[in-house]
Amino acid sequence: MIDKTSTVQDAIKNNVNAGDNIFIGGFGHLIPFYLSHELIRQKIQDLTICRSGADILFDQLIASEIVKKVIFGYVGNPTVGLSHSFSRAYKKKSIEIEEWTNQSIIMRLHAARMGVSFIPSKILQIGDKPSNIRHLKQVTCPYTDHKFSAIPALKPDIALIHAQSADKYGNIQMWGIDGDTVEGALASDKIIVSVEKIISNSKIKEAPEKTVIPSHRVSNIIELPWGAYPSYVSGFYSRDDDHYIEYDTTSRDEDKLSSYLKNWVHDARNIQEYKKLIGSTKIKELEEGLCGVKNED
Amino acid sequence: MKIDYREYSPNQRIAIIAASELVGYKSCFVGIGIPSDAACLAKLSVEPELNLIYESGAIGALPLSKSYSTGSPSIAHGADMITDSLSVFSDLQAGRIDVGLLSAAQIDKFGNLNSTVIGDYDEPKIRMVGSGGAHDIACLIPNLIVLMPHDPRRFVDTVDFATSPGSGRDIKKIRDQLNLPEGPSILITDKAKFIMSDEGWLLHSILDSFTFAEATEGLPWSLKPPISCPIETDPAIISALAQINY
Repeated sequence: MIDKTSTVQDAIKNNVNAGDNIFIGGFGHLIPFYLSHELIRQKIQDLTICRSGADILFDQLIASEIVKKVIFGYVGNPTVGLSHSFSRAYKKKSIEIEEWTNQSIIMRLHAARMGVSFIPSKILQIGDKPSNIRHLKQVTCPYTDHKFSAIPALKPDIALIHAQSADKYGNIQMWGIDGDTVEGALASDKIIVSVEKIISNSKIKEAPEKTVIPSHRVSNIIELPWGAYPSYVSGFYSRDDDHYIEYDTTSRDEDKLSSYLKNWVHDARNIQEYKKLIGSTKIKELEEGLCGVKNED
Repeated sequence: MKIDYREYSPNQRIAIIAASELVGYKSCFVGIGIPSDAACLAKLSVEPELNLIYESGAIGALPLSKSYSTGSPSIAHGADMITDSLSVFSDLQAGRIDVGLLSAAQIDKFGNLNSTVIGDYDEPKIRMVGSGGAHDIACLIPNLIVLMPHDPRRFVDTVDFATSPGSGRDIKKIRDQLNLPEGPSILITDKAKFIMSDEGWLLHSILDSFTFAEATEGLPWSLKPPISCPIETDPAIISALAQINY
């Protein structure tokens, strides 16, 4: 078996090309902040980024001017408000968008995962959304004559995701809220995974039902504890809601946002620097916060 | 016991009225915010059988601290089941989830909801978050209840963008042809309950403590006096409010 552990720098440099379509995992939970920030640090240009419900990580990638196109169902800062960088880029027309719904994005990924070019669905046939999506077609069922929208496959070049643990071969174990993370990863040609902890293969074999992605699909594994901050990881640490609330104020102002990105992205050259920024008081608070049963491995 | 509903905040009043509407249902597709609060309130008081289902994949959840995302720790913690989003959207499309609660930035007289843009799509005044799962729920859920704070700016004749399709005579005809359920049937504000008719929303009833003038103030639709008596709610709902008061 091949040892797929890597540094975050090499994993991104060796797998991501300018112009790639990248699925980014995390549905409130397990958002791969530190791993995806490496795209910004390496200034990889003209990216397409996609997922169903996207939060402030998308805002940061858009603000960093490395994104050409966004394919999404939702882009915002949940409960707090809008994605201000997305709104600015949309109004300036500096990004292209393909706007779907959460269900249709997930079905698009599922179609790619299943290796078919579309899946029929009852959604996207009524209201202003269908006419707003270029090239969306309707099909008639050959058995019932019922009309369905033909939801086209979305096959990303690469998926960046975060999970609890993996062995060095790339067997990924994940639990808690998944959303569309596994679906999007398995739909993609390549998968890069950051984890809280690298564990032994024998530990994986003790509970193979926790493995959600098998090693042969994974390109690289990087151990990045706290790499999902300010989102959370079940069994490890809770969500920093305050960070999300403060980000709303920060991201309204482009100068403030630049210094935020300098601190949290450009100057955070390794995960230890990132942890230093979070700070020991906050780390303790989030470790004690709500995040399910503590991981004992 | 006479309840003075003015003692409660507008969002609490919406949750109070909505909780009563959930009696008899077994499963509810909810989003974060007022919909989640209302469903929790019903579960804690008048409908203990109700299973709360979030698009993140959490089923049988009961968040008792504030949740910012449908994937928040408070949603996952205490859930009976966590599956993936594809499964819950599949259940939704198969008609296996009874009722849904939605809110939006704008609503029109046929219950079309807008969470996409204020103004023109290409040159918007405000670019909002987009559909999320709202369009999907509005297309697919057999019973749809819309929850809106009584803010006249958000009530319009025709929405700037119909993210989530409404109902009424013309839309229902198209829904029938596509084998889709009938769409939004109830609208709840912090002062009243409205029901959908062929011609759009009708004022059904007003929350006790409020007047017709207050319940319709600034709404652009022509509304007749309520067809039913004032809304009074089960005191159990009011007692349970303290548990979701975060």
